[in-house]
Amino acid sequence: MRTAGTLAMLALLLAGTASARADAPPPDAVFDPGAPLKTLAPKVVVNSGKLEWVPFHRDLTSWPTLSHHDKRPTPRPVRATLNGPLDGDAARGRELAMRPDKGYCIACHALPGEEWPGTVGVNLAGYQQHRNADELVFQQIFDARVFNPNTVMPPYGTFGILTEQELRDLVAYLQSLE
Amino acid sequence: MGILKQALISCVFVAGVAGASDDVYREYDPLETYEPNVAGDRKHSNTYQYWMDPKNLDWQMAGNPDENWKLNWKFMDPPFNPVVHGGHFAEDRGETLYKKLNTRGRFASCLGATKGNLKGLRASYPRYRAELKRVVGLEEAIEICAKRLGHQLENGSYDNSAVSVYIASRSNGMPIRIDVSKGPMKEAWERGRKLFHTRAGRFNLACSSCHTHQVGLHLRGTVVTTPYGDVAHYPVYRTRYQLQSLHLRFAECNLDTRTQPLRPGSGAYTDLEVFLTGLTNGYPVSVPSERD
Ligand code: HEC
Ligand code: HEC
Repeated sequence: MRTAGTLAMLALLLAGTASARADAPPPDAVFDPGAPLKTLAPKVVVNSGKLEWVPFHRDLTSWPTLSHHDKRPTPRPVRATLNGPLDGDAARGRELAMRPDKGYCIACHALPGEEWPGTVGVNLAGYQQHRNADELVFQQIFDARVFNPNTVMPPYGTFGILTEQELRDLVAYLQSLE
Repeated sequence: MGILKQALISCVFVAGVAGASDDVYREYDPLETYEPNVAGDRKHSNTYQYWMDPKNLDWQMAGNPDENWKLNWKFMDPPFNPVVHGGHFAEDRGETLYKKLNTRGRFASCLGATKGNLKGLRASYPRYRAELKRVVGLEEAIEICAKRLGHQLENGSYDNSAVSVYIASRSNGMPIRIDVSKGPMKEAWERGRKLFHTRAGRFNLACSSCHTHQVGLHLRGTVVTTPYGDVAHYPVYRTRYQLQSLHLRFAECNLDTRTQPLRPGSGAYTDLEVFLTGLTNGYPVSVPSERD
């Protein structure tokens, strides 16, 4: 297991200079440039003076960090267009709303038939009753910053967390909730 | 989605955009009314009244899963919590390591203890270290001072945090007291406050997205609590992480929100530490502590 020191050094070497390149993760980010999923997570080993770093199950190196040396911009809000018929699959949408690696909408929103819902976002049970146009719902999930710049809801479309078809499936799911 | 709300918030947006450096587009969430004192929580989550006296917490509240978050989980700290847990073993090991490192008194003086006395040391970190020309947290100072004596106590490692818990235990009951009103400490506090509100990562969340705007709300099974008063119980014993320093907690929250974590002791994490320590000013140090 490599230590933070050597990894930071590696990152430094790759970056070439002490301040990061405009398109690279900053030198104080801990990752393994040679690994398939570069991001590392700290692991505390009892009775040891060394901190271990183990592979994290997701590569996060391409997104802006909190580092002072990070020169990469945040993707700006995007106004989305919904072309053609919705053509979404509500059952697939439901699955996406529950999956931690996909929408994980349940972390913040109550959805029918699920325990331990989040209460950060509005209750989405019975969503159909709001009679919001598909385009609006699509935009809210694609990039909610267009409606509310201070929203805490992730911009699933702009940030490429979900594909266009997956967004359509989620819209179909919400619009099916009576 | 109300048009009015939309229009209103668009104004905030213009004010709210700020760059990490001026030429880089970053989103900054401007809602903040912080004070560098723990009582500032009265204007934040307004739960301070329930946990301000760590000795006399409300047992009934602590036992009620719908209400216990209002105690800022302080019922898991000493002196209220009498349970023996992994944090106590860490404190013992920290004492052994500390005494080994400090046989000639050089470790204590490097850390900044007056006449080798550890009393109050924890309460006055992070501090500006003139020879390093920057602000450092206690764990970073432990790493640097151990290294000068030829020992590796990497920031964030178990042994580093164990020494930190031991040192903190010598200040138990003493209020955290750092001065962020001038000089490099003020600059670090301001940078930390800004970072706390700067969005990052794959979900575009800032620390404040949860710890300012969602206090008391559920994120699936967990409830977010106020950032006021937290630093007083670090490093903390956690079953999953054994012993967790504050910077490793930042890394955990970063990873949970899909943001690439930084090295413990990095400038950004140290600034966040200064900010959060300011929010703990006036609250007594209480270790060893545990959290879920
Ligand atoms: C981190 C928290 C969070 C997550 C995760 C989240 N949301 Fe939201 N959502 C919010 C909040 C807060 C609002 C309130 C409006 C706003 O601030 O944008 C909201 C609003 C909405 C609305 C608009 C409701 C209305 O007023 O008509 C919809 C639709 C929605 N979310 C769907 C989803 C879906 C689908 C997902 C998952 C793909 C999701 N949300 C994930 C926090 C979240
Ligand atoms: C998506 C939500 C979310 C975000 C974003 C987030 N946190 Fe947390 N954080 C939590 C939750 C939930 C907990 C555990 C409950 C608690 O103590 O508030 C927590 C706990 C903590 C704790 C431990 C509190 C204690 O009493 O021991 C600290 C310190 C902390 N967060 C700091 C941060 C910082 C700094 C950031 C930004 C880098 C951040 N958090 C981002 C949700 C979040």
